[in-house]
Amino acid sequence: METMAAAATAPSRTGTAEVPMPEGKWIDVGGIRTRYHEVGRGEPIVFVYGGNFGTADSASSAYTWNLNLAPLATRFRAIAFDKVGQGHTDNPPGDDYTMQAVVDHAGAFIEAMKLPPVHLVGHSRGGFAAMRLALQKQHLVRTLTIVNSGTLMPRVGTNEVVLGKPPFPSYTRECARWVYENYSFDRATVTETWIDAVMETLNLPKYRESVRKMVDERMGLAKFVPNLARDKRETLGWLREGRLQRPAQIVWGFNDRTATVDGGFDLFAMIAAHERRAQIHVVNESGHFPFREHPARFNALLAGFAGRFGEGAAA
Amino acid sequence: MIAIARTQVEVGGRRLALLRGGAGAEPVLFLHGGVPGLSLYCGGAHLWADYLPLAARQRQVVAPDLPGFGDSAPADAPYGIEAMASTALDLVRALGLGPCHVVGHDEGGLVAIAMALAAPEALRSITVVASPTAAPSGDTVENLTLAHPPGPRWSRAAQEWALARMSRDPHHVDAALLDRCMECAEAPAHRAAAARASAGIALDLAQSVAKAKGQFYTVCRDGAFPVPAQLVWGADDPMTSIEHARVLYGVIAGRQRAAHLHVLNRTGNFPFREDRAAFHQVLAAFHDGLAAG
Repeated sequence: METMAAAATAPSRTGTAEVPMPEGKWIDVGGIRTRYHEVGRGEPIVFVYGGNFGTADSASSAYTWNLNLAPLATRFRAIAFDKVGQGHTDNPPGDDYTMQAVVDHAGAFIEAMKLPPVHLVGHSRGGFAAMRLALQKQHLVRTLTIVNSGTLMPRVGTNEVVLGKPPFPSYTRECARWVYENYSFDRATVTETWIDAVMETLNLPKYRESVRKMVDERMGLAKFVPNLARDKRETLGWLREGRLQRPAQIVWGFNDRTATVDGGFDLFAMIAAHERRAQIHVVNESGHFPFREHPARFNALLAGFAGRFGEGAAA
Repeated sequence: MIAIARTQVEVGGRRLALLRGGAGAEPVLFLHGGVPGLSLYCGGAHLWADYLPLAARQRQVVAPDLPGFGDSAPADAPYGIEAMASTALDLVRALGLGPCHVVGHDEGGLVAIAMALAAPEALRSITVVASPTAAPSGDTVENLTLAHPPGPRWSRAAQEWALARMSRDPHHVDAALLDRCMECAEAPAHRAAAARASAGIALDLAQSVAKAKGQFYTVCRDGAFPVPAQLVWGADDPMTSIEHARVLYGVIAGRQRAAHLHVLNRTGNFPFREDRAAFHQVLAAFHDGLAAG
C-alpha cells in the first residue's frame, strides 16, 4: 500500500518542488531594510513564515512559501517578506529581539507597501505574529489564515522534545535537513533547494550576529522567551474576549509532532465562540508544513477562503 | 445563475427523478440523507436544491431522489445502504458521469463510502457531510435531539420540527423546502415506504448500516481507503459532534493520503444549507486542489 500511495502522488511532490521564487526586492520599513518577494496582481495575500531570529540549527526565510507564491499569482498579488532579523532583512534596531518587534515590523511592512487590507497567512511562530497583528491592527487585515501554530495554540508545544539536540553540528546542511525532516510527514518533501535557501540565510553575517545576540548574549532567554510568554497570555485573553473580528481559518497538518492537531481544535474553539466566519481544515499526511507537503490543495483552500471574503465578495 | 432542471431517467428498469445542471469534466453527484418511511423528514434531491446552482457554476451537478424518495420509483425491501450504493453506481454509469466526485449527506455519506469501496474507478473523490451514520458511534450517550417528535408523522409541522431541530440555524427551513417535503410525503414512493415501516424494517436498516460501516472500517484498517476523501462537519451539529468527525477522520486518514477534515462554524446537520457559501468554498477547494495536484 505504501508504494501505491507513493506512486499515485509522486508527480505533485517532484513537480512542484522546484518552483522558482520571484526575484527579491527591497523596501525601507521604518529604517529596517526589508527584503520581500511578490508576484501576481489582485488582492494581496501576505505570508508570514515561522521560526525566530538567532537559531543556528535551521533558519526560515521567505523561500518557505515558494510552492505557494507563483501558483496563487494567477488570482492574487502574493507577497512573502523576510521578518525583522530573519532571512535577508535587517536585525532589529536597539537589540529589540522580541516577538512584538516582529509584529510591529510586519504591520509597518504592510503600511510601507501601501497595501489595502490583506489576506494574512501565518505559519508556526508566524501564525502568532499574524494573529497578534490582526488583533492590534485589524484595519490592515481582511482575512486571517493560521497554519500549524504551536506558538499560538493554547497547549504545550513539543518542539524542544522533537527537535532538541540535533545529531549534527549547527550551521550545517545535515543539521537543517534533520530539523525539517523531523518536522515533516514525508521526508522527501525536504528538497535540496529548500536546504540551499536555509544555508543562504545561516551564512549571512548579520544572521550570525543575531545568533550571537540570542544565544551568546542570552537575549533569547532574557528577553525573547519571557516577552513572548507575556504576549501569548495577553493574545489568548484577547481571543477569549472576542477581540478578533475577521474571517479566520485554521489549517493544520494532521501528523505534526511539534504542534499536535488537538491544539488546532482548541484554537478553533476559542475563535469560533465569537467569530462566525471561522473554519478549521485538517490535512492528512502532513507534518508542520502542509503548504509544502500538499501545495495544490493548500493553495486551493487559501484561494477559496480569500476569494469568498475578498473585497466585494458576497459572504 | 446556472439553471437546474428537474428530470427523470430509467436506471435498471427503475425511474429515478433528478436535479441536474451545469457542465464540465469531473461531475459531482450529490446524495441526500434519510431513509424512506423511517426518517422524520422526507429526504430527496430538494435538500441540495438551494446549493446546486452555486456548484453548477464550475461543474456538472446531479442530485437524484434515491428509490423510495421524492418522485422516484418505490424502493425494494429490505432497504439498505448497499442497495442505495448500487443504485447510485448504476446512475453514474447510465449518465456516463464517471469518474465523478460524490458528496453524501448523513446516510448519503455512508452510501458514498460504499460506492468508493465497490467501484473506486468510477469515483474521483468522496465528501462525507455531517454523517452520524458513517461515524463510529463508540458507545456515546443516547442522542435525544429527535426523541419526542410532534405528530402526525410527516405533517408539515412535524417535518419542520425535525429539520429545525437538526440544524444550528433553522432559517434554511423555509416555505419552499417544506412545500417540497410535503409533496414528497404524498408521493407514491414515500406512501409505500410509510405503509411498510415497522420495527423490523428499522432493524433491517440498522443492520445494513452496521454492515456497511464494518466493511468500511475493515478496509481502512487492513488496506487503504481507495479514493481521496474529505469530511465536512458542522461545529454545532445536534446530531453528531466534532469528536465523532475526528474519530472518523482518523479511520480514513490512516491509509488515504488525500484526506481532509473541515469544520464549519455555526452550522448543524445541514451545513450545505445553513451556510452555503462556506460549504461551497471548501467543496470547490477540495475538487480544485485535486485537479491541480
